Amino acid sequence: MTRAARLLRLGGSRPLPALALALTLVAGGFAAWAGQDWYRAAHDEQAAYAVQRDAALSAGEQAVQNLNTLDHRELKRGLDLWESSTTGELHEQLASGRDEFAAQVKEAKTVSTARVLSGAVTELDDRAGRARVLVALRVTVQAADGAKSDKDSRMLGELTRTDGRWKLSALGQAPVGGTSTG
Amino acid sequence: MMTPTWLLRRPAPPEPGTDPAQDPADPSEQDTPEQDTPEQDAGDRDAPDGDTGDAPDAPDGDAPVDKAVAHGRLRRAALAGTAAALVLGGCAFFYAAHQLRSAAPARNHALTDAEATARVAGDVGDALARIFSYTPDGTAAAERSASTVLDGRAARQYETLFARVRDDLTEQRVTLSTRAVRTGVVELDGDRARLLVFLDQTSHRDKGKATTAAAQLTVTARLDDDRWRIVDIKAR
Repeated sequence: MTRAARLLRLGGSRPLPALALALTLVAGGFAAWAGQDWYRAAHDEQAAYAVQRDAALSAGEQAVQNLNTLDHRELKRGLDLWESSTTGELHEQLASGRDEFAAQVKEAKTVSTARVLSGAVTELDDRAGRARVLVALRVTVQAADGAKSDKDSRMLGELTRTDGRWKLSALGQAPVGGTSTG
Repeated sequence: MMTPTWLLRRPAPPEPGTDPAQDPADPSEQDTPEQDTPEQDAGDRDAPDGDTGDAPDAPDGDAPVDKAVAHGRLRRAALAGTAAALVLGGCAFFYAAHQLRSAAPARNHALTDAEATARVAGDVGDALARIFSYTPDGTAAAERSASTVLDGRAARQYETLFARVRDDLTEQRVTLSTRAVRTGVVELDGDRARLLVFLDQTSHRDKGKATTAAAQLTVTARLDDDRWRIVDIKAR
């Protein structure tokens, strides 16, 4: 009480400290507001979700491209990349069929190069670590005789987050003329 | 509330037996009880001559006054320092929050705003289905739809396309029905959106067999008057 009275009296006789006090209070209010605004931005669940969405999309596009790219001269590197881009059932399928597939590609002497034209995430479960992506892809296949052919395909991929990284757990062509929607 | 302090500091009552709290002989002291500390006295003495504090030649500028002046300066410096620190800190937080909010992932509301994402996907899918579906009896319905859902470059593209094929379509009795089978929102930022759409297009000539073709489009849409309109279409 005495302190408050003293401050008031100072205000009456010296305007400067009163002004300074008021400014300090305003500065304190500003700092408090900015601090909690920053805290909210830093702990914004939507922003974290957006970061996961973008991570899933770029990982998905890269993985789809990897799985459609294979050079018969660098089979080991290509197939290792296939395995490191995938997880779950898809990974097991690729690993178990690897030798057979490698023999086929070696025989055919083809070089496939894929390019992602566009991609989008359609579903994302941040907590479960699952996502679905659409990818429009152009695959260029060079046959043994050097003839090249382009093929556009539309892929549906399912991603699963393992150890903080998004990997493909299922991949297939979007059916044409089917009944599915979405 | 102030009475107890004042009672403690008050000198002994002149006459034992009288109530000290109601002593009529000393009304001034009772009215201004805080005046007895040296710091407050200094404040009072400065006031009449308008001196703001640094007054070594004040009439009775003794030790307590100097001390009080030093105190005042220190306090003001501390106050200024605190204010400056708070402003700087506030600015730092403000800037950091702005950086976080304007980061590319946060600006894109695809999927983070589920309602808006579903809406733009639905609007664009419907629009594509309507403008690319027609019967041999006329393309009028499709073209009418196009005039309401297309704008900008997409509208011009569509007109060019239809001017070229309109006659053939009626002549060859082509029926085309288009369905958006998958729609993904790549980017959604306020009134602009970019989508990837997978279409199934089933066509048949007269009574011929139907064939279904797949098409992949990237579509740019703009929100106009609370409605999404397609402004650009690129075949993928």
